[in-house]
Amino acid sequence: MTEVMFVLAASLVFGIGVWGLLIAEHLLRKLLALNVMSSSVFIIMLVVSGDGGTSPDPVAQALILTGIVIAVAATAFALALMISIYRATGRPSISESDDDDR
Amino acid sequence: MVISVLIDFLLAAGMVVLALQVVSDKAVLRSIILFVVFGLVMALAWTRLHAPDLALAEAAIGAGVTGALMMMAWRRLLIINPERPADTPLGRSRLAVPVALLSAVLVATIGLTALDVESPTHTAGQVAAEEMTATGLGNPVTGVLLLFRNLDTLLEMAVLLIALLGARAISPPASPEEAAVVETGTPLVGALLAILVPLSILIATHLLLAGTHEPGGAFQAGAVLAAGGVALILSARLKPGERPGIVMQLGVTVGLIAFVAIGVGIMALGETLLVLPGTWAVYLIETAMMVSIGLTLALLFAGAPALVGRRG
Repeated sequence: MTEVMFVLAASLVFGIGVWGLLIAEHLLRKLLALNVMSSSVFIIMLVVSGDGGTSPDPVAQALILTGIVIAVAATAFALALMISIYRATGRPSISESDDDDR
Repeated sequence: MVISVLIDFLLAAGMVVLALQVVSDKAVLRSIILFVVFGLVMALAWTRLHAPDLALAEAAIGAGVTGALMMMAWRRLLIINPERPADTPLGRSRLAVPVALLSAVLVATIGLTALDVESPTHTAGQVAAEEMTATGLGNPVTGVLLLFRNLDTLLEMAVLLIALLGARAISPPASPEEAAVVETGTPLVGALLAILVPLSILIATHLLLAGTHEPGGAFQAGAVLAAGGVALILSARLKPGERPGIVMQLGVTVGLIAFVAIGVGIMALGETLLVLPGTWAVYLIETAMMVSIGLTLALLFAGAPALVGRRG
């Protein structure tokens, strides 16, 4: 019951993340959407690894913990990239029209 | 029973509603704040799923550090160009809704199918749980991270270091004043820091030591340590520096150095690569990792290769 509920909720969150990623112009928004998506994947990873008992799979937990830390490292690097793009172009976004400006 | 299902439902619904608000709010800053709230609801969900280690990590790293990094990045955008609003409206995409719906259905199908599959009897997780008593560690997650799959953890530390080096390579270091949001001499800031900073060190040490037997560990401890550093950076007690001294260089690499030194050194005694010789090695490596993680995250927040203290 709980498992099914969390899987469904996480799937919705994943879909919302995809939607947010597609409609976001601002790179910071895209990063937020990506982080939301990764959270939902972590939830599903943990829920399906368990056997319905009270102690989830320790390997899955360790993998997710690694994933959370990698996600923050990647986010920090992406934020530095975004700031560089803003410095260079004056815009916090990447769009096809960027090529026309040159 | 009914109550616990109700709580789970509220958490699941809260996740969905908050995620929707994070991606659709008109103001970027409010999206970031909502993302932190989303992370905290996620942390509650982890506790409901019996994963307190992940709850701690989500609250400290997922919500705390990520949120702080995003807010600081937002501040940098405003500093670079104060005249022009850095906000942009949400774009439009005709494909967004169908693609999002399809991916949600796909993920739900995968998830529900995986739930339906009879769980295998002999998984790595079960073997790890069975072997835990032999290792002297009480927390199976720490056991997996430091003993059974420690190559993952070693490389994770390398990724963290590469992220810091990469961030430094592509953007110029922050000016000393850029990161400080609290004016020097603001009343009560000193008193607040006198409570917050020792508390963050205390909690980090507790998480580290408890991590071998209870929920906790080097990553959660490092994030809490970084939070203390963030408080010091915001109040200009620590300022971004230009040149990392030997202390900084050693600080960000000591986790990797200790891990590699013990993991490779053990081969001289005829052991296999990365087979840790006992709980003392786990404690030693975790302590070194905590220092590196805390300092790396604080440096990423400050946007500088070094931090220097300020007198007074």
